[in-house]
Amino acid sequence: MYQNVPISERVQKIRAMYRSKKPKIDINRYRIVTEFYMANPQLPGILKRGRVMRELFEKMPTPVRDHELIVGHPGEEFRSSALYPEHSFYWFFDEIDTFPTRGTDPYDLDPEDRAYIEKTGHFWDKNCTCAMIDDIYPDEYRDYVCGNGVLNFLPVNNCQHPIGHYCGNYWTVVDKGLGSVLEEARAKKKEMLERGLQGNEGQTFQFYRAIELVTEGIIIYTKRYAKECLRQAETCTDPQRKAELLDMADRLDRVIEKPCESYHDALQACFLYQLALLLESQPHGISYGRLDQYCGKYLEADLASGKLTKEQAQELTDMFILKVAEINKVWSERATKSGPGYTAGQLITLGGIDRDGNDATNTMTYMVMQSSARLKLHNPPLALRLHAGTPDKLWEAGIETTKQVGGVPCFEWDDTAIEALVRRGIPLEDARNYTLIGCVEPCACGNDFANSGGDGHDSYTILPAALWCAINNGVNPGKFPGSTDKPTGVQCGYLKDMTSMQQVLDAYKAQIDYFCKWQVTMLNCYEYIYAMNMPLPMLSATLTGCMESGKDAMWGGAQYNNTGNTSIGHGNVADSLNIIDQVCFRDKIATPAELYDALINNWEGHEDLHQYILGKCVHFGNNDPEADKYLKFVADTYSEAITRGYGPRGNHLTAGCWPVTLNVVYGGWVAATPDGRKSGTPLSDGISPVQSMDKNGPFATINSILKFDQANYANGTLCNMKFHPTALQGAEGDKKLRAVMETYFKGGGMELQINVVSAKMLREAQEKPKDYEDLVVRIAGFSAYFVEVYKAAQDDLIRRTEMSV
Amino acid sequence: MTSGRLYDIQGFSVQDGPGIRTTAFLKGCPLRCPWCHSPESQAFNKQLSWMSMRCLGLEACNSRCMKACPKDAIEEGPLKTDVQTGAQLRTVHVKRDLCDNCGACADKCYAEALTMCGKDYTSEELVNRLLQDRNFFENSGGGVTISGGEPLCQIDFVVEVLKGLKENGIHTALDTTGFAPWETLERTMPYVDLYLYDLKHMDSAKHKATVAVPNEQIKENVKKLAEHGKALQIRIPVIPRFNEDEENIRATAEFCVGLGSAVQVIQLLPYHNMGVMKYLRISDGKPLEATPPSDEKMEHLRDIMASYGLNVTIH
Repeated sequence: MYQNVPISERVQKIRAMYRSKKPKIDINRYRIVTEFYMANPQLPGILKRGRVMRELFEKMPTPVRDHELIVGHPGEEFRSSALYPEHSFYWFFDEIDTFPTRGTDPYDLDPEDRAYIEKTGHFWDKNCTCAMIDDIYPDEYRDYVCGNGVLNFLPVNNCQHPIGHYCGNYWTVVDKGLGSVLEEARAKKKEMLERGLQGNEGQTFQFYRAIELVTEGIIIYTKRYAKECLRQAETCTDPQRKAELLDMADRLDRVIEKPCESYHDALQACFLYQLALLLESQPHGISYGRLDQYCGKYLEADLASGKLTKEQAQELTDMFILKVAEINKVWSERATKSGPGYTAGQLITLGGIDRDGNDATNTMTYMVMQSSARLKLHNPPLALRLHAGTPDKLWEAGIETTKQVGGVPCFEWDDTAIEALVRRGIPLEDARNYTLIGCVEPCACGNDFANSGGDGHDSYTILPAALWCAINNGVNPGKFPGSTDKPTGVQCGYLKDMTSMQQVLDAYKAQIDYFCKWQVTMLNCYEYIYAMNMPLPMLSATLTGCMESGKDAMWGGAQYNNTGNTSIGHGNVADSLNIIDQVCFRDKIATPAELYDALINNWEGHEDLHQYILGKCVHFGNNDPEADKYLKFVADTYSEAITRGYGPRGNHLTAGCWPVTLNVVYGGWVAATPDGRKSGTPLSDGISPVQSMDKNGPFATINSILKFDQANYANGTLCNMKFHPTALQGAEGDKKLRAVMETYFKGGGMELQINVVSAKMLREAQEKPKDYEDLVVRIAGFSAYFVEVYKAAQDDLIRRTEMSV
Repeated sequence: MTSGRLYDIQGFSVQDGPGIRTTAFLKGCPLRCPWCHSPESQAFNKQLSWMSMRCLGLEACNSRCMKACPKDAIEEGPLKTDVQTGAQLRTVHVKRDLCDNCGACADKCYAEALTMCGKDYTSEELVNRLLQDRNFFENSGGGVTISGGEPLCQIDFVVEVLKGLKENGIHTALDTTGFAPWETLERTMPYVDLYLYDLKHMDSAKHKATVAVPNEQIKENVKKLAEHGKALQIRIPVIPRFNEDEENIRATAEFCVGLGSAVQVIQLLPYHNMGVMKYLRISDGKPLEATPPSDEKMEHLRDIMASYGLNVTIH
């Protein structure tokens, strides 16, 4: 039976600090970037980014704290958070008074820092990418489509987050060192100058210049940490700590520039490279990829040679994980609601098969899981890849971990994810080497520019809002405030006049095609601005394809490219179509006009019909063939429509279905839906049936969900399951949980995340948060401490059907 | 093809045999165990079931149930507090002496506070329903458990269902009190992989005094199953002041030893009082309540039985 080993004293101290320290806004990054942008308006995008990175590497603080063996942080204080004004900054002024006191994820801000921001911040009003994007939208979108409630590109303040959700090539970082990339960039420049820049190489040349700036910069940054260790060693009176500091100085003088020589080297190098990516762009789903695959061999070599004991290796792993956990990002309050609990989305993927199809589990796979389980850490999120040949011990470790830290890891089934990537056009060997990005999005690891989360909100299509357009002549009554009263969708008439189910289905498909066409349009406008102004040279330095092609990742330099989209409310639309069919056309309980009137009036005056629909109709989610038959239609209609479009990097868009907690947020806008949902209440979660409508137990719920082809959702699907602890007690319980998971996966499931908590316990935690400070639950694409989640999302979690005996 | 009557089907059943199972609960039982935690399993007829928790209040539903009842058997009942709004809602009370379980009110109760307990299936319908869950059985080494009530009371139906399941390669378990003629039980033998067999008391007089039937036939039947080499999982509900005394436990252990290698495991099932509320759903009466046996007590009884060389589990 899989068991946790004890936690070292040092690690316990760091964890206690992590759980007690309130995060603070650190303005170092803000100050350096703002001053640089003010002084250098003449620089074009790629050079501006290269030069500003160089400034950051030379000027950012290099904190080395007393307890640390692995160093690096984007601010002075423990758990402090950097700012990213070049992406968007209006929201910061709107909320400047409430940061320290807001309900979800508060941050302290020093008065003098605030004064500096207030003095300089309006520079960004016209200089951030957000402002540029607002200005280049087609007028036709702004005047006719904007604010419709289906798509999330708004009149102003779009794209507060940059393009994120990607993963660098860490094999280059640990096995080669960035010194080799620097040399390569210099050689390329030299070669080009010798023969003269031809054709488009004016741009290519600037790309290699930027690569030179950032690779040299990160080496300087690393050596600055080495110096700080030496400085502290000089005055250190504790001989043991002094030796540690000297060892760290030696390491930091070497890694990043040169190949790693040990496990400790590899963890330090990966942490600093990730930190560099986080200085380049916001922590917006920038993921670690297959950590156990590129670091595991260093661990196993050190254990074999006796350089490290297992205990020392576990302590280092703990400290690495705690370093990753320490990083968070300041979001606007609205965005925070999509990812509460100080999450930064630095997903780590473990396990799975290798490029040849063999099981790739190694010692590090278990060690990382140990760290999360024993330290009860929701952050960083972990994904565990499973396949038919996953060792029993790894199954056990995964299940035990998820029982202790709700939803960590999430589980991904290799067969389904690999099939989805192959359908995306990725060759089998590279597809097998996939990682998850952000929450649950599969992408090839190290050579695929995933961009799987768009800029956050704007990658979402709200399907139930499109249904409203379909039954209300193109008008969504739940449109966003301030938007036009004109019909924003296709005018296909009203439900009250419809005489057949086919008419309803045709109308829905017309809306989805129409809105997905606009979604592609808007995403491509947005990418244009980003390609010009926000290239990613630090990422491009390692991402396979960029150095070879002389193109930044934002310009399509990566070997593979993706533009990931996602959707919310499959369950609501599938069930609503089922109910329309059942009530209006099959059983003729109400006429389409009566149902339409009930929906427009949020069921008021139609209580009988509402109660009948909730109690007597058969709903999607109960494994009833008739009631489930529209799920496939809903899933395929969206995935076909969104996949039709393609982006500037040459790739088709991909479909996903994961709501984070936005099913609660967007539910607030969507009017009553035919499935019996009332106006303003949460939408269905992930690919699950509507909350509380799956009344036939877990077998039926799962078999209903499996009625659409998830491999068409290359950008990932998300399925939450909550089990009552009594259903899964002991070793037998673990085996049974595994059997349920395998059944889901072998039936075509892609991802599962599991909470083993009772609704009763969650209610108690709401009432007595002090007693449940360490209770971790899976919220959405990530986990969080339950007590740090805002109340509506807590309630939604409680409502999700508890699968129990 | 015959029809049978069920009161429930439960998926994800983890304690009724190996793996993850779906259990079909048949309605009707000749025994009257006072501790029964599924009182709705006892009567053979369909019964009106009332769950206050789901009631929306007479104002919200416009008293549809009262209006629908041809016997005037539904009257205003107690107030309850709505969990979400805190409002006081007027619920109903079923006058059981007037109610003939016709189900007219349940048809009109959209909230499903009033429902009819008992649903009829043909054997083919039930087999098809159970086969829907087969992907779970295959991955867990599970299958179907036929339980009750007393399934042997609907023997023709049960045999057809079991046969249908076996034709589809499904592992089958039959959960029975054993109270039926041998010829009846014998008919199930070709189609049952595992018997979950209740032994409530070794003393026939005490057995009859408490659960309304004697135990000779029950004991004889299980011996015959053992002689035929059928796999047995013996279940002993541990009921305070009835069968928890050491003398009875030792006698039971000795009896089980006599059954030989057919007995795979003995399950001691501690009495629990979670069924008490269910009585109020189908009647005005509550059964006698007892304090569940302590963990120490259960462990003590387990140790006694284990000392006979038996494989004993609690739950």
